[in-house]
Amino acid sequence: MKYECLVCGWIYDPKVGDPDGDIAPGTAWADIPDDWVCPECGAGKDMFEAVSE
Amino acid sequence: MTRVLIVGNGVAGVTAARFLADGDPSHEIVIYGQEPYLYYARPRLIDYIEGTVPETKMALYGEDWYAQRGIRCELGRRVERIDREEHTIQLDDGETDRYDQLVLATGADSWVPPIPGRELGCVHTLRTMDDARAIADCARGCDQVVVIGGGLLGLDTAAALACCGPKVTVIEALPWLLPRQLDRQGAHLLTDMLAAKGIETLVDQQCDRLEGVAGVERVVLKSGKILSAQMVVVSTGVRSNTCLARDAGLLVEQGVVVDAAMRSSDPDIYAVGDVAQFDGRVWAIIPVAIAQARVAAAQINGDRTKRYEPLVPSTTLQVSGIDLTSIGQVHPEGDELTVRKANSDQGRYTKLVIDKGRIIGAIVLGDRKMARDVSRLVSAKVDVGAHSDQLLDEGFAITSLLG
Repeated sequence: MKYECLVCGWIYDPKVGDPDGDIAPGTAWADIPDDWVCPECGAGKDMFEAVSE
Repeated sequence: MTRVLIVGNGVAGVTAARFLADGDPSHEIVIYGQEPYLYYARPRLIDYIEGTVPETKMALYGEDWYAQRGIRCELGRRVERIDREEHTIQLDDGETDRYDQLVLATGADSWVPPIPGRELGCVHTLRTMDDARAIADCARGCDQVVVIGGGLLGLDTAAALACCGPKVTVIEALPWLLPRQLDRQGAHLLTDMLAAKGIETLVDQQCDRLEGVAGVERVVLKSGKILSAQMVVVSTGVRSNTCLARDAGLLVEQGVVVDAAMRSSDPDIYAVGDVAQFDGRVWAIIPVAIAQARVAAAQINGDRTKRYEPLVPSTTLQVSGIDLTSIGQVHPEGDELTVRKANSDQGRYTKLVIDKGRIIGAIVLGDRKMARDVSRLVSAKVDVGAHSDQLLDEGFAITSLLG
């Protein structure tokens, strides 16, 4: 499942992770720490929602 | 049951609506949006102009998003007046609506200096979906475009337009690009990077007038230099949309003056985002709008302890291939410690401004990982004092300081 930032549209894909933010590829959404922020706009984790693709 | 009206369907308005609904589903929430579009992210307008995001993909919140939360969204409707005595608002068609609590999230509009010729055709500003569409349409027939203003939005727009074909020149009145976010050394590197993308930048130059018959044809600078252009985009800042609040007699300076609860001078009216002025400043950036919207929502939901804590502002340039993040105060004002590392060949530059052990400002160019790490140190207010001389050393893991 991918997650989209509802502020800027950036998409978190667990397959890719967010290496610059210390989130390794393969990390499930639930396992991302709560203080992680969107790499594009800085919004918090609770500004994301699951998207079906 | 509380009836909450929100004026504005931008990021501040929808975020307030979201947290109001999440916190207390019994609210009646109505958003009045002046633009006829469902919520979209303004940073994406750059992608739209560049051609990487089609218009059909612009809306981030579908109608079902509003419906699921019981939020009514009235689009293409302008709020003309607030009657504080009656607790009502009046719309442009004369209809009125009653509120218990009102949230002003009317944002800001582009501000254009009084340059002669600014009323000519093909002279644009970028703020809304309609602006972006006009710019994208106009760009198709252009060979040369001039962007007035070398701030973040000006450079983002210039880079997006350069991808569409025309030759783009940016004019900045101050001695270097991104004067608020960059120092001279960083700006020098950025100038080279932009030049490599075909974007010419002229600093220390002011626009005297725009000339043309129906549409703009030439930009005449105060130095006498003349630039041909079939389109001009003016990107010289924004001004808060305070008319509604001012007419209602609320305390207004640059923005609607609010306290740490985001309350205006009327206890039943809140202001958040680009229209709000807290502690003497209107930031007009997204992270501030979100933080303020959450505070207003919590306050209306009855959590009176939730206060707005000023954020250290952080901004990022959206030019593909150029990673630039600027955080907080990048120009030291007193005896702050400055740490720098530069590698011009790799297009990398990092500068940290440290005050009493805390990083209060940073410029990170060409290193996404470093930018993220520094942001985390700033947000967590980590004391880096003991390590300040080795922070930027190769092999020193600055995230180890996060604990």
